[in-house]
Amino acid sequence: MTNQKHGFAAAPVLIEELAPVARFSLRVRPENRATLMQALGLDLPARIGARSAAGGREALCLGPDEWLLTAPETAPIAAAAVYATTPHSLTEISDREITLRLSGPQVLDLLATNCPRDVAALAEGKGCRTVFDSATVTLWRDGPAEFRMDIWRSFAPHVRSLLAQAEAELIAGL
Amino acid sequence: MSRYRISGGGRVDHGAPVSFTFDGKSYQGLRGDTVASALLANGVHLMGRSFKYHRPRGAVTAGSEEPNALIGTSRGPGRFEPNTRATVQELRKDLVTESQNKWPRLSFDLGAINDRAYMLFSAGFYYKTFMWPRSFWDKVYEPFIRGAAGLGKSPTEADPDRYASRYLHTDLLIVGGGAAGIAAALVAAKSGARVVLVDENPEMGGALLSDPSVEIEGQPAWAWLDAKLAELRALGVKLMTRTTAIGYYHQNFVGLTERLTDHLDTPPANAPRERMWRVRADHVVLAQGALEKPLVFDGNDRPGVMLAGSAQTYLNRYGVRVGDNIAVLTSHDSAYYAAFDLADAGSKVAAIIDTRDEINADLADSAAKRGIRVLKGHTATGTKGRLRVSSVRVNPVTAGRVGKPTEIACDALLMSGGWTPSLHLFSHTKGSLAWDADSNTFLPDRKTEACQIAGAGRGLWGFGPVLEDGVNAGLAAVQALGRSADARSLPVANDRPGSGISHKELPTDRSAGKAKAFVDFQNDVTAKDLRLAVREGMRSIEHVKRYTTNGMATDQGKMSNINGLMIAADALAKQPPQVGLTTFRPPYTPTSFGAFAGYLRGETFQLTRKTPIDPWAEAHGAVFEPVAQWRRAWYFPKAGEDMHAAVARECRATRASVGIFDASTLGKIEVAGPDAVEFMNRMYTNPWTKLAAGRCRYGLLLGEDGFIRDDGVIGRLSNDLFHVTTTTGGAARVLNMMEDYLQTEWPDLNVWLTSTTEQWATVALNGPNARKVLEGLVEGQDLSDEAFPHMSIAECTVAGLPARLFRISFTGELGFEVNVPARHGLKLWEALIEAGKRYDICPYGTETMHVLRAEKGYIIVGQDTDGTVTPNDAGLDWAVGQKKPDFVGKRSLSRPDIVAKGRKQLVGLLSEGGVRLEEGAQIVLDPTQPLPMKMVGHVTSSYDSAALGRPIALAVIEGGHERIGETVHIPMEHGTLRAKITSTVFYDPEGARLKA
Repeated sequence: MTNQKHGFAAAPVLIEELAPVARFSLRVRPENRATLMQALGLDLPARIGARSAAGGREALCLGPDEWLLTAPETAPIAAAAVYATTPHSLTEISDREITLRLSGPQVLDLLATNCPRDVAALAEGKGCRTVFDSATVTLWRDGPAEFRMDIWRSFAPHVRSLLAQAEAELIAGL
Repeated sequence: MSRYRISGGGRVDHGAPVSFTFDGKSYQGLRGDTVASALLANGVHLMGRSFKYHRPRGAVTAGSEEPNALIGTSRGPGRFEPNTRATVQELRKDLVTESQNKWPRLSFDLGAINDRAYMLFSAGFYYKTFMWPRSFWDKVYEPFIRGAAGLGKSPTEADPDRYASRYLHTDLLIVGGGAAGIAAALVAAKSGARVVLVDENPEMGGALLSDPSVEIEGQPAWAWLDAKLAELRALGVKLMTRTTAIGYYHQNFVGLTERLTDHLDTPPANAPRERMWRVRADHVVLAQGALEKPLVFDGNDRPGVMLAGSAQTYLNRYGVRVGDNIAVLTSHDSAYYAAFDLADAGSKVAAIIDTRDEINADLADSAAKRGIRVLKGHTATGTKGRLRVSSVRVNPVTAGRVGKPTEIACDALLMSGGWTPSLHLFSHTKGSLAWDADSNTFLPDRKTEACQIAGAGRGLWGFGPVLEDGVNAGLAAVQALGRSADARSLPVANDRPGSGISHKELPTDRSAGKAKAFVDFQNDVTAKDLRLAVREGMRSIEHVKRYTTNGMATDQGKMSNINGLMIAADALAKQPPQVGLTTFRPPYTPTSFGAFAGYLRGETFQLTRKTPIDPWAEAHGAVFEPVAQWRRAWYFPKAGEDMHAAVARECRATRASVGIFDASTLGKIEVAGPDAVEFMNRMYTNPWTKLAAGRCRYGLLLGEDGFIRDDGVIGRLSNDLFHVTTTTGGAARVLNMMEDYLQTEWPDLNVWLTSTTEQWATVALNGPNARKVLEGLVEGQDLSDEAFPHMSIAECTVAGLPARLFRISFTGELGFEVNVPARHGLKLWEALIEAGKRYDICPYGTETMHVLRAEKGYIIVGQDTDGTVTPNDAGLDWAVGQKKPDFVGKRSLSRPDIVAKGRKQLVGLLSEGGVRLEEGAQIVLDPTQPLPMKMVGHVTSSYDSAALGRPIALAVIEGGHERIGETVHIPMEHGTLRAKITSTVFYDPEGARLKA
């Protein structure tokens, strides 16, 4: 890297794999959302793409009856107590995906290489399910130039290779 | 400096010479030149040979519509490109260029014999010349046509360049950075809208770059341009040069190709050569301008004959005079300005020959002031000069009669037949066109997309009207975007207004049948060819086009369409709109394959999924095969083993002791909720109500048509929780089908589906010693046959990892499948390998899995079934819950043709003579019947079975279940094979080994 004209400080993007977290897919009818919120102690936003966070746990609404939940691996999530009265499914998918942190001044260009969605229009603190090339991914926008991308495990090498090519292109500056 | 270059003239950098070669000879141009402008600056007009007649040709334009000056370019090893337009390729240091379609050399080409024999090469000559004798087609005609087809040499090396792609979302996309586009962009940018302005040229400005004497808002054109581009940048407009809008698709989706490095002496490392942009714009402004038409007369293709506007561009943009002694032939006012600019720059203008009887008085004055002779009401009837024009023959036309000729000496002949609005992108949208009889051209009419068309692209002329139209288009776009903006007018001084008329081929005093008056320069189509096509019965312009190839070259008739239409209409004695216009199709200009491929090459050509255990397989020499999107270990050859030997060893080892198999690719779906069992009852053929928690069952999934779609073992973990497995290839399809039913048919059910395919890594252990390998590693579950019988499931710990443990078998041996969270898959695999060492545990791949299951008659959906196989056909009636009220496909199973006799049914086949049958081979009952024989079925699976010491096969045969014991015949290329129909279960039919 030393003979590149872009130094480390000016790296256009940073691509890092994050440590695993506990991850769950929560499915519950919209009318039972409040009960689950209470049982989980976590807000479940009703608007698709909206997120909430509390106590190291996060929720992202992916559909009218679908939320993606994350939690520290040491404190996984359960709502078994309300299952009998409020049927739902809470399926662990911690190992289904790996998560990349994508950041840097040109992170929007990085995503625009293979994500057909208008990622710039995704507000900070929101998330969405979309595709990166032909792989389904979940995008979390954590800052103006900071995203997380959840990728199904077996799709990750393909996505990483595409990201590496895009990164090289951004470093080239053209 | 060449005497054709004007010192300090144009927009090129006179302090930066750039050397390049053309046909092996070194030349010098300037930074900012194209290959064409640099060659013209060196006095070189001859740049190529034409496609059919090998006629000498020079650049006729200065832009991307160029039909003649197509050259081969080499930008270094592996970077040869044929058919590069010399008028587009910018000079870069040491660029190597060469002319095409010539032998032995450009100035003397033997292929030009075609030109002498032009009478043989008339329209439709392929169809006429090569008809007879029939036997000549394969050996003589076709090789000849193929040899002659195509222009330029194909590159032979793999393309070493990178190509990029990017998506872009914007409020407004403006195509064309000329006066109209810039005016529209200024208005829109001030409204706060996101604006993208693209232009195919290396710099913005369009015609303003060729008309520096015009003044806008009190500033000279170029100063105004600089100021406005700076303003646009400051307003946040994305300005993209060297970017061609190649196609305009549904809902304002526009494809752009951006050329990034072809003009650079040393491109940065890893920089992509081109980038394909996929743009979604809320609104689009098309400001593509207009393209100048040639005039059609004998010898209009000689080097040195070029479009007047292009000569003006060479002069003003590149500082290059295209000749010393210039003649101008025109039917439009615009060519006068080219003549004036060249005269002012020091060229002699021999004459302006105007086809019109009346000309604008101001233009006549200006010509007179410069001492330029103007010949009104004249035609051109020929040119002379072998490799460069030396004179033009002109005649007065009086009342339709062509008078006596005069020769005017010249070293360049500029022509203008008027201007054609660029309608290509608008036509891509299927917007309709209207014929404008005044200007003899098509103009955009009804729109299908949210777009505006502005400026010369809709027939306007002069910078004043064009700028005003650009402002209005900007306002309309802003309004459509729900925004508002102020707009002020942009006053123009020294404007160059003008008008003109359109012609068919120009009248001549010579035989029109011998005139080489070109309409389509790239495909060598003459006016005579078009008339011949009409005489031979072509009526529609679409037929005329295909018969003559007019407009079918890579320039898609940018210069030839309207001239061709005028001539065809005249020949048909119809109005042009009644003859019609051919359709423009994307891409607007030739586009590289690389730009389309983008990142989808090399290791990212196609997504390939790998399991967590894949690295181990690779390290241990596995041979892989693709299965759906996955790559799976096929077999694990040891040194010296071929596939046959490796698979036989893996099969023997598994049946004798224990084998280990990576089953992680199996689809997995978690079905959860109080109505899970009801949902399972409705989806699968099997009954699930009585399946106890902790037990598994083979599940069969049908479509509504009653045919088998998928299968897999399903475990019930608790009353409300099923762990469903699907085939590897069926995982996504099955989940979609389930979701479809759940959301549309049974939204009342309280059940939810989650794909867990990748949550779990799955390892299968099979063989009599499987339990022994596993025992020491399992905690929390008694593995004895009593406590954990065949078809059980439990949650426990394996090798210290949380696991879902199945006792199931796809081999007929004692079998277990261990599921652990995917990140631990490799750890589990290695622990099992270690524990299995004392039992000579044998890793096996998909081929051995296929053999072992076939020995047991277990089907593979998609191999032994083909979408027309029912459970009964496959011998799986036992898996159908006959007492269930309903399940997907149940009604179809009682349709008359599903229960009719003679359906193809799955059976076993044992061939005679130890021959392994070929999968897919057709089966007949009587091999002596006359051809064509009645085929009653085919072989679906066939393997050498180590356990049976002979080949085995599965097949579907009409009425097969009732033919067990009969002999059937399999006609092959080298003789007919015999085989006996058997049960599908070849090995351990009692199933004793499963229950070990």
